[in-house]
Amino acid sequence: MIKKFIHQFASPKTYMFQVNRAYPYIFYFSVIIYSLSVFWGLFLTPEDFVQGNSYRIIYLHVPASFISQSLYLAMAIASAVYLIWKVKLSVYLVRSIAPIGAITTFIALISGSIWGIPTWGTWWVWDARIVSTLILFIMYLGLISLHDSFNNFEKADKFLSILVIVGSVNIPIIKMSVEWWSTLHQPASITLSEKPAIDLVMLYPLFGSIIGFAGIVTCLVILSSKFQIFRREKNKSWVNDYV
Amino acid sequence: MNIFRFEFLKLSRKSRGWLGPILVFVLIMIAYPLTVEVSNLELGQSFFSVLWIATLLVMMLATEDIFLEDYNDGSLEQLSISDGNLSFVIAVKIFIYWMLIGIPISIIGFLFCIGITNSSQNSIYVLPIILVASYIFINVFSFGNALSLTKGSVLGTLVTLPLLLPLLIVLGKVIVAINFGLNYFGFLLLLLGILSIIIFIVPMIISYIIRAHLE
Repeated sequence: MIKKFIHQFASPKTYMFQVNRAYPYIFYFSVIIYSLSVFWGLFLTPEDFVQGNSYRIIYLHVPASFISQSLYLAMAIASAVYLIWKVKLSVYLVRSIAPIGAITTFIALISGSIWGIPTWGTWWVWDARIVSTLILFIMYLGLISLHDSFNNFEKADKFLSILVIVGSVNIPIIKMSVEWWSTLHQPASITLSEKPAIDLVMLYPLFGSIIGFAGIVTCLVILSSKFQIFRREKNKSWVNDYV
Repeated sequence: MNIFRFEFLKLSRKSRGWLGPILVFVLIMIAYPLTVEVSNLELGQSFFSVLWIATLLVMMLATEDIFLEDYNDGSLEQLSISDGNLSFVIAVKIFIYWMLIGIPISIIGFLFCIGITNSSQNSIYVLPIILVASYIFINVFSFGNALSLTKGSVLGTLVTLPLLLPLLIVLGKVIVAINFGLNYFGFLLLLLGILSIIIFIVPMIISYIIRAHLE
């Protein structure tokens, strides 16, 4: 049954209809969650003992950097699916995630440097975490430019997915950079295995903002993937019927 | 053995291919002290950054047409349909490029290292690092080159350049380790470990890419 579901879902046509049905729910749900948790974080949580009010940018910075790495991981998985099972839809997704990933990485970098001014006294340091996030941003741009440089879509898809998989070695480096190198950036406050190093009052809105941000990004990816599907399948009859 | 000899002759007779990058490297090494105010101490401090960046960029330059000629004259196509092992041939090709460009650059860099930092003790430690690093660079750039084989080499190498930036951080750490007598062999083993993975995987990926190009 699962196999049948996957096969159905892998066709761009079914994907489009399913996604159209789910889109408004995801959109409103995530917008409400995000705005509620940002409101909670901005007005209802107490000031930080050390950082004062400046820590409140955490409700943008942490979701953005978390999502920017997760998106790359999603791209890597989708590329593997494309290379192994030749599922066309997954490479459309890879191509449509790339610009969204670049945007979220950019947000993470900008919000991080804004946060850096009051807490570290500098907006940029050349240390491992920050430089590796910048590398991630450049990788996203490189992926887009590589894909767009080919006229032949099939070749472009193959090379794009190979480069995504090879480039995924950067993800553990970004993730572990705060522990392998002595950096100015603090280690992660929230881990799966340990008790969070952040107070619960601040943690709940943070979780909410991560979920909300992920939902909003999902909506963006859906819009972007619809555009890719139209662009690539414009000669198919169902697209003409749909439009 | 035949493949080794064949690839060696092919590259060594094309003197622009291997002499050009070496000369660019020498030029960078000679020209960079001119841009620094005359004081040996400062020269030694910034020398290693220039050394790594020069190695990186010269390797980028060296792989410029590593597959293009073979692709244009059809020998890659012939290799891919004959029963010879394409990824082995590619590995040999990369090795020959490293032998004719990477090793001379490492030795020249080592000599400049003695000359500029005035400490032959530390420079000996640098030699194996630069040998291994240049081999890693040349592998990764060949991968980038294969990606954009028909589209000019700049795009592919630029796209793969970010993959090497973490390595540059490691190379920076190595110099600190050498200067303070810290865990040097740990870093050397780390680089060798990366190399031992790359040396097998990259030719396989490249042969896959080249087959896709030929389709």
